[in-house]
Amino acid sequence: MNLGQAFKIAIKSISAKKSRSILTMLGVIIGVAAVIVLVSYAQGQNLWMQEYYASMADNSIEIYAYSYNKDLSTPLYNYCLQLDDYVVGVTPTAQVWSTVLVRHGAKSLNSDDYENWDDRPEIVLGGQDYSICKAYTLTAGRDLSYLDIKNENQVCVLGSHMAELLFDYTNPVGKTISINSQPFEVVGVYESKDAAFSMGSLGYDKIILVPYTLNRTLNNNQSLDSFVIKAKDATSTKRAITLLSSFLEGAVGDYGYYSISTPDQWKEMGEEEQQVQQRFLGGIAAISLAVGGIGIMNIMLVTVTERTREIGIRKAIGAERRSIVAQFLIEACMLCGFGGLLGIVAGFVLTLIVGKQSFGIILIPNPGVTLGAVLISLALGVIFGLYPAIKASGLQPVDALRAE
Amino acid sequence: MLIEARDLYKIYHEGEQSEVRALNGVSLSIDHGEFVAIIGASGSGKSTLMNILGCLDIPTYGDYHLGGVDITERSDRQLARIRNRQIGFIFQGFNLIPALSAYENVELPLIYQGVSLFKREDMVQQALEKVALADRAEHRPAEMSGGQQQRVAIARAIATKPPIIMADEPTGALDSKTGQHVLEILHQLHSEGATVLLITHDNGIAATAERIIRMLDGGIVYDGPREGVQL
Repeated sequence: MNLGQAFKIAIKSISAKKSRSILTMLGVIIGVAAVIVLVSYAQGQNLWMQEYYASMADNSIEIYAYSYNKDLSTPLYNYCLQLDDYVVGVTPTAQVWSTVLVRHGAKSLNSDDYENWDDRPEIVLGGQDYSICKAYTLTAGRDLSYLDIKNENQVCVLGSHMAELLFDYTNPVGKTISINSQPFEVVGVYESKDAAFSMGSLGYDKIILVPYTLNRTLNNNQSLDSFVIKAKDATSTKRAITLLSSFLEGAVGDYGYYSISTPDQWKEMGEEEQQVQQRFLGGIAAISLAVGGIGIMNIMLVTVTERTREIGIRKAIGAERRSIVAQFLIEACMLCGFGGLLGIVAGFVLTLIVGKQSFGIILIPNPGVTLGAVLISLALGVIFGLYPAIKASGLQPVDALRAE
Repeated sequence: MLIEARDLYKIYHEGEQSEVRALNGVSLSIDHGEFVAIIGASGSGKSTLMNILGCLDIPTYGDYHLGGVDITERSDRQLARIRNRQIGFIFQGFNLIPALSAYENVELPLIYQGVSLFKREDMVQQALEKVALADRAEHRPAEMSGGQQQRVAIARAIATKPPIIMADEPTGALDSKTGQHVLEILHQLHSEGATVLLITHDNGIAATAERIIRMLDGGIVYDGPREGVQL
């Protein structure tokens, strides 16, 4: 009895018992595919979250500083501009909170319109670096320029939703709108920021950006106490925060208040949330593997009696114990191995579909998880496939034949 | 002597209240080329005796020599070899593997013996022709009648050309006509030189044997020529 013959007998046994073979493989296929898909899904969500938090963060720093007894905005702005080793953009920023009426032709939008929440314009004051600091990109026209700021030009850049509302998808660049009855020329339109991560809100796309030097006329000359800085990278962000803290500590002293925050904090929150989710999906993966494993176990154990009789017959006609164990081992390995392969294929296909449907990306399963799932299924299949062989091949043939 | 058994005991639940002595000190010897029928009521120990003689079971006590070799001392491997080459066993319930075709069932002992594919084909063919089933080679057991299944089982038993054929009520599950056919095959094997041991309930079949062993309650009550016993 050599290995080739054991193979031959095992293959015969598999092909002769098609339904049993298919059911055994199904257990492995489902177990492996479920683990691959679920873990990949978790990873897809991870990627998506990371991207989301990156879009919120990407090395920007928000500063708020206020003093009772002096104007802080000019020295703070100048100080920020000095940090050009670490910083790629600086902009003062303020929102006009008083009621604003925006008109173009027959269309008008009111910033206090509570009935159309999503259609309320948000007038934002900013500098030429505003789009850099807040990660906007232009779809048409140009950004605010240094001269617009310096000359207090009445120009504006529209968020994509504002452009749609006021201009019905025609090109707004070069047209004039009125803000509180003052004429403003539209010089550019920002690309929609919310599309990728919209959760029903159009927040980012409702802005109308105007030069911050119009603070005096548009915003009752309130002090400009908020700034946004865009740092070069994570290290620069940290360095800039340190420098700004010590500068503001000195400048504000006991006569005011300041805060420096960075949406990178979001990222940390996101990462924590991610870990929780990862554990959750790891648990689901373990359960699906257990279910698949129980399926394998079940079909293997259900056939023990039948197989015990078969082993009795084989022994009666002269099979050695080791050739019976070899046959069952090869059978289990082939079934579970082939099942595992099909499981991988099914898992990959489903993962690609899920990645496309849920996240719009090409999702590839983790090779370590795939390998782990296959090995565990294989081990279960082999253990429970060998169980009757080891038990029954040790019996006297007549006892094995008597199995009921 | 081919088969030499001394004081065979098979005791279940020994020492307990429920102790059963399936064999209670059986001794017998059988020579090459004999045709022996073992008869007796159900539970008399016929099958237990034959299972032990056929190396499918081991006695609780006693000596068994087959072809001069002490069987009780053999390892699993050596016993497997003896079952494979020395003894062809035929069961009342056929004991074919249901998933395999007639051909594959007959081929199995030859595979375990390690016969090459080329020689195997020949030997399977020969065995199937001997039981007149060459045309049913690809059928599975479920697709055949009881008589055909038993003939496949006989073909399997003789495929390795063992010197001893043991048959435990081979006609018990068959009608008398097909049973007669099976008996003829056994006689033919005997005429070709095989030693045949046969358990039967059927006095007509027992009457065709040269030697009769009658058992009762785990012991032999008659062992001698057919002529000396009232069937």
